[in-house]
Amino acid sequence: MARSRVSIRNQIRILRFRHGEMTQQQLADQVGVTRQTVNAIEGGKYSPSLEVAFRIAHVFGEPLEKVFQFVDAEPGRRG
Amino acid sequence: MSFEEKSVWVEFVSYFIGLGGYLIVAGRMLSNGVSALPPYVPVFAVAVVFIVAVNIVGHIVAAATSRSDEVDERDRLIGWRAESGSSWILGFGVIGAITALIFSVGSVWVAHLLLISLFVSEVTKNVLQIVYYRRGI
Repeated sequence: MARSRVSIRNQIRILRFRHGEMTQQQLADQVGVTRQTVNAIEGGKYSPSLEVAFRIAHVFGEPLEKVFQFVDAEPGRRG
Repeated sequence: MSFEEKSVWVEFVSYFIGLGGYLIVAGRMLSNGVSALPPYVPVFAVAVVFIVAVNIVGHIVAAATSRSDEVDERDRLIGWRAESGSSWILGFGVIGAITALIFSVGSVWVAHLLLISLFVSEVTKNVLQIVYYRRGI
């Protein structure tokens, strides 16, 4: 069975900008991860755990789906 | 670069130079017909001291040039994936060493088969970690 290529997009950069141009380090400190991990999440190089995803959403005061979006790379594929 | 990534680089350099250097020297000794283990011990001791020294100095420098030495979930995941992608090499080395003992191969060859598998396993682990840190996981 072929595995679907999926990715998780995020709006962290925009949300940081909207929250007083919050730095990656400030977000990392509030979430409890390193700045490099925030950078990797923001750049789509790392999909965070559910707990970290919720923590990031909590920092911005937004629901999870406003921060992270699931994108299926095979839009024509049906279950 | 996070403290953990710097730590991986320190380990990589120490193993590559320390254990790699030992294996080159040991290879020359083997090719010259040194078939007893005792002559290899001082060379190996020097390699171990070098590895420990590079790790101590390297980690002090890494800590001094990093904001935090905390490990987060990404560091742990990278460590686990790199470990699972490299530990089989040491496993094969151990099985190879046991097989060699069954066939009464000399202890100097068995010891170096184990060391080579340890060296390749550790270097592969470090390379995988560096790739995951750089390219994403």
